Amino acid sequence: MSLPSVPAIETRGLRRVYKTKPKPIVALDGIDLEVAPGEFFGLLGPNGAGKTTLIKILTTLLLPTTGTARVFGFDVARETRQIRRLMNIVAGGEQSGYGLLQVREQLWMFSQFYGLGTREGWQRVDELIEAVGLDEQRNQKVSSLSTGQRQKMNFARGLLNDPWVFFLDEPTLGLDVSAARSVRELVRTWKDALPGRTILLTTHYMAEAEELCERIAIVDHGRILAIGTPDELKHRVQSESIFRLEVDRLERGAGALAGLPGVVSASTATDGTTPAPDGVQTLNLILDNDTALGGVVTALGSMGAQIVALRKSEPSLEDVFVELVGRGFDEDGAGSNGHHEAVAR
Amino acid sequence: MEPTVAAFDRHALRATRSRRDGWRDTWRGYRTAARLGWRVEANWADPILFLTYSVAKPLAGALILVVMLEVVSGGGADEYRAFIVVGSALWSFVIAGLSGLAMSVLDDRERYRMLKYLYISPTSLAVLLLGRGTARFAMGGIGAAVTLAVGVLFLGVPFDPAVMDVPLLLASMALGLSGVIALGVVFAAVVLQTRQDSWSYPEAVAGALFLLVGAVFPLAVLPMPVQALGLVTPLTWWVAAVREALFPDAVSSIAGPGSLYTRLTGVTEPDRWVLLICLLATTVLVTLGAMLTFRVSERRAKDRGLIDQTTGT
Repeated sequence: MSLPSVPAIETRGLRRVYKTKPKPIVALDGIDLEVAPGEFFGLLGPNGAGKTTLIKILTTLLLPTTGTARVFGFDVARETRQIRRLMNIVAGGEQSGYGLLQVREQLWMFSQFYGLGTREGWQRVDELIEAVGLDEQRNQKVSSLSTGQRQKMNFARGLLNDPWVFFLDEPTLGLDVSAARSVRELVRTWKDALPGRTILLTTHYMAEAEELCERIAIVDHGRILAIGTPDELKHRVQSESIFRLEVDRLERGAGALAGLPGVVSASTATDGTTPAPDGVQTLNLILDNDTALGGVVTALGSMGAQIVALRKSEPSLEDVFVELVGRGFDEDGAGSNGHHEAVAR
Repeated sequence: MEPTVAAFDRHALRATRSRRDGWRDTWRGYRTAARLGWRVEANWADPILFLTYSVAKPLAGALILVVMLEVVSGGGADEYRAFIVVGSALWSFVIAGLSGLAMSVLDDRERYRMLKYLYISPTSLAVLLLGRGTARFAMGGIGAAVTLAVGVLFLGVPFDPAVMDVPLLLASMALGLSGVIALGVVFAAVVLQTRQDSWSYPEAVAGALFLLVGAVFPLAVLPMPVQALGLVTPLTWWVAAVREALFPDAVSSIAGPGSLYTRLTGVTEPDRWVLLICLLATTVLVTLGAMLTFRVSERRAKDRGLIDQTTGT
């Protein structure tokens, strides 16, 4: 499968300034971005980083102040009609919907706004209601839906036209753990079913970005600070591989490992002189890369030591952010840690 | 079947579920928006209560005016009864038309928070708003019909179907309603720029227009500059043309002693062709102005990020 020459999303020198008093707010400050067709791309940054502004521009809701933004080569300022047929959006953290309408009815109306035929619209709505798990709520009024159910309905609306570019603006914001998991699962399932489709996800939940996205751009104050795969980004702050081993009968101490190929340093908390009462010691290893671990394991075996536990220490995306910005997400009130744990559950 | 990326042609690329275009799509979008408007407008309460409200309001207005007329004239102003009933009936359309589209903007943006999702759909915003406004327009029509019926049946308005000028009525209604819709588009454009508390603007303006287009009294009683303003409004010619069509003997709201029209033309009562031509000209003028205003407003709203703003508490 050859990739098209036109990126799914492309911005060049994109700048957006809100004329507010007492002074203007620079929401985007020269964004250069290229997202390939079929890519699951994430924009990760704290509140106020400019993520939503970028999505608003790409979805034709907002004009850029300067610079260009294109979706499949169509200019967001001049070729809105073409773009609107190709994309859709789901935003989180909002209570949108015509409360008096039934779920099925509201979705059908949107299918008509997207040009589906009457019967085709009902058929598509029923498919999506089943896909997002709203079978029991299909004839309920929108106002009676829970926050999670409402977000599922929003997803159904967003998928009505099978968009080529699907914008997800903080889609799990305000959802409980279970609802957030179900939304992520839904996104993944849709993407797996239609691999040619592009997703641009904005989030300030690092675990979410890491779990879903193939590439991530870290943004802050309207600028892209770094772009790469999650592994590439993490590699920026930690080039070596760090391991912590619980080792029994490490009688010759860590010093014997220091000269092995690829080992940068090896140390124990007690340096082998005063072993713990149960004989198990903690061995800290810094290696050039993961492959050096094999030599260490072999050496420990030949020394008669036994590995009880092994744990790799990896930096988080928050470490990357702190490294790049000099402050954490929490300082902007994003509350990322709590969600990180929630996602892990 | 999922198109392969290898077959990529960005102009051929359409979301597989959104492949149609042209007038069929526009009509579908309008029809659905009208249905949405009707469901949203009419579903909020018991239908009987809803109907009562939409009928009682214009009817009460007409009754108040007729009673005032009876008291002031001592019961000797039969010819003005038809004048007032027609003006009041048509005003149901004006209020509905002026406020319908504007309220759709405010409701969808601030209350339902759906305007941005409507806006980014392939259906144009103008079509969506016209559809949404149609429901209110229909409600205005109910009010107008009931007011006319009560006027004829209970207030002694001398209606004779045999003398009714049907072609003039149809033509003037078509043009007049177009003018009302154009004014509604102007107000939609205005509230796109304003806060949610601007819901009262259209009704306030409709109230002001009520006084200067000859709906309840002839223009001749107004100062000359205000009469001039009335004469460039399509509503003035619409109300006069419908009166002429339904009640050929009714008093003219445009011409007569002391009127600017008579001073300028020397004519004491414009004939049906003059009414229609003036109605057509002013409607075209207002429609062009409305299209321009809406386009500018939409552009400005996109520039300032107003499409999805919520200004409520």
